[in-house]
Amino acid sequence: MLSAKGAFRRKTLALLSLCAAATVLASPLSAQTIKIGAPLALTGGLADEGKKQAIAYDMWLKRINAAGGISVGGKKMKVELVQYDYQTNEQRAQQLAEKLIVDDKVDFLLAPFGSGHTKVVAGVAERYGVPVMATSASSESIFNQGYKYMFGVLAPNGGIVENLTKLVAKQNPKVKKVAILGREDVFPKAMATSMAELAPKVGMEVVSTEFYPVGALDLATPISKIKALAPDWIYVTGYSKDLVLARKQMADLGVKAPVITMITGPAYKEFIDALGPLAEGVTSASWWHHSAQFKGNDPWGTTKAFYDEFVKREKSDPDYVHAAAAAALVALQKGIEKAGTLDKAKVRDALASLDVTTFYGPIKFSANGMNAGSELPIIQVQKSRIAVLYPDRVKQGTLQPVK
Amino acid sequence: MSALYAQTLANGLMLGALYACIAVGFSLVWGVLNVINMLHGSFIILGGYLAYFAWTHFQVPPFVSIFGVAALLYLLGYLIQYGLINRVIARPVLTTLTLTFGLDMILYNFMNLAFTATPRRVTLDLGRLEIAGVTLPMDRVWAMLLALAMTAMLFAVLRSSRIGRAIVAVRMDRDAAALMGVRVNKVYAVTFGLGALMAGACGALLSSVFPITTSVTGLFLGKAFVICVIGGLGTVPGALVGGLALGLVESFAGQWFGPVNAILAGFLLMLVLLVVRPTGLMGRKGYE
Repeated sequence: MLSAKGAFRRKTLALLSLCAAATVLASPLSAQTIKIGAPLALTGGLADEGKKQAIAYDMWLKRINAAGGISVGGKKMKVELVQYDYQTNEQRAQQLAEKLIVDDKVDFLLAPFGSGHTKVVAGVAERYGVPVMATSASSESIFNQGYKYMFGVLAPNGGIVENLTKLVAKQNPKVKKVAILGREDVFPKAMATSMAELAPKVGMEVVSTEFYPVGALDLATPISKIKALAPDWIYVTGYSKDLVLARKQMADLGVKAPVITMITGPAYKEFIDALGPLAEGVTSASWWHHSAQFKGNDPWGTTKAFYDEFVKREKSDPDYVHAAAAAALVALQKGIEKAGTLDKAKVRDALASLDVTTFYGPIKFSANGMNAGSELPIIQVQKSRIAVLYPDRVKQGTLQPVK
Repeated sequence: MSALYAQTLANGLMLGALYACIAVGFSLVWGVLNVINMLHGSFIILGGYLAYFAWTHFQVPPFVSIFGVAALLYLLGYLIQYGLINRVIARPVLTTLTLTFGLDMILYNFMNLAFTATPRRVTLDLGRLEIAGVTLPMDRVWAMLLALAMTAMLFAVLRSSRIGRAIVAVRMDRDAAALMGVRVNKVYAVTFGLGALMAGACGALLSSVFPITTSVTGLFLGKAFVICVIGGLGTVPGALVGGLALGLVESFAGQWFGPVNAILAGFLLMLVLLVVRPTGLMGRKGYE
């Protein structure tokens, strides 16, 4: 009886010590990788954008791990990316953000595409005090929620529209009447409202401001209305599918204007591919274009290196979504290196005071967490290619009227 | 201002024709097989992709490739019904709905992987027709004619062809039809194949009108559903009337209350009809 009890005790002890050994062994092992969580829209309405982010994440991950990882306080640590498909479903994005923090115990988070879903994920991250990098949110309303742990690499919407109105007023002084058609959605709506506010400041009259719903299959009605107003500048916001449809229906209904802007249509290669000759002359503003070259201290080093690797891998040109997604990880990497620890609050502070130049351009966060940014490019489709109209130092052409 | 109203009316009719085109195949399968085909939206987009690839790789315009696309989709539909749906066809409607829902997830995700969700379009513009200040896009005029032709064809097939009578007979009484020597499983497969054929033809036609992307499959399916309820289940002309009604309502509501409320108006029409006339505008109780 006694001996049986003793044997049991010995076994228990042995088991316990095994467990203890396992924990001791496991903890430095798991601590050697930095876990970054990413809820992605791989299916559903934003699948296209979600996949772009996934490509950029993977490019950065391969580069950084090939270099041994991120240097944290003098020690290289490999990076692991934990990603889930949230199916373009806001509620799922929220649940998965929570799961990533609580279950997968990620150190940092990446926000999904677009201002709306970014807000949801950032809300969760804020609650748990996890730094979250917004790769493609540019609506200031999201950054003015007082979140301390959110940082975004895109510059504010307003700046983009302001550059654009100034450029058009200067290079085509005949433009007086502006018609605005916006998608009823966080980012496209903000871009449309900015335009309605800023156009009068350069002496233009806004003749109509209309919004179409997210699930719109057809835009004939608002476009027919615009036709009756005969504006000089038609300014449409939305995502690629909406913009391709809008441009096609403008041609179908015989709507013409010397300036047609589609935010952010021409920034995407597929916009030009899907429209063919109809894309000619369409202007847009963008956060990044590969023609604007920068040198920086990051895994790529130059804009050209990033561009070349992307083209080799994907057989197409990168757009701002790819670049901004990679830049968000670069910024996070720089923040971790600067902090020299994985402590979330310390990395947060390091990010807040970050000031670096990367392949993507300068990254320096304002007090609200948005990239202060400067000189955002304005582009136009000229002869089926993108021509940069602004900033002046990388300018490739001047504003041409749409035929 | 009257020119704007004439244009709004024309826009509504053109859009209505596209809607009818989207819904005809769905209505056939629902009305005849009593199967709510959740695959319908994906069939349309698959047709669109096939037409798109025929255009980009072989420079075959959609108006030619439409025949090949329709044939391929017919084959696909036939096989799906013959091999899979027939196994549960006698079960309650929820079972077949669940099966087609699952199949739709497979097809949708397959397309998402194979073609990505990038919006594509056949960059072929057929120009427009101007009549008394009203602008009619030619590709929509064609879509309207096609929708009419499809409806007429289906109507003729169901009314007067041997297979058409067999389809109607099976719908009325599956067991009696079997006793009369109708090969029920084959008739089901042909019907489902026809539904897929119409979806594919519609997709090929839409490939130059709308950007083709997997993210709109649900949108097409939703429209087809609303149109069938408005127009009436089980009648082929119902899809045409329902499509035109929805197109007109959305067009005028968009004009008066803004595009954001146009979709709401379509659903309101559906709700009112469900209460006032549950059989839909063209529906009758009983079978064709």
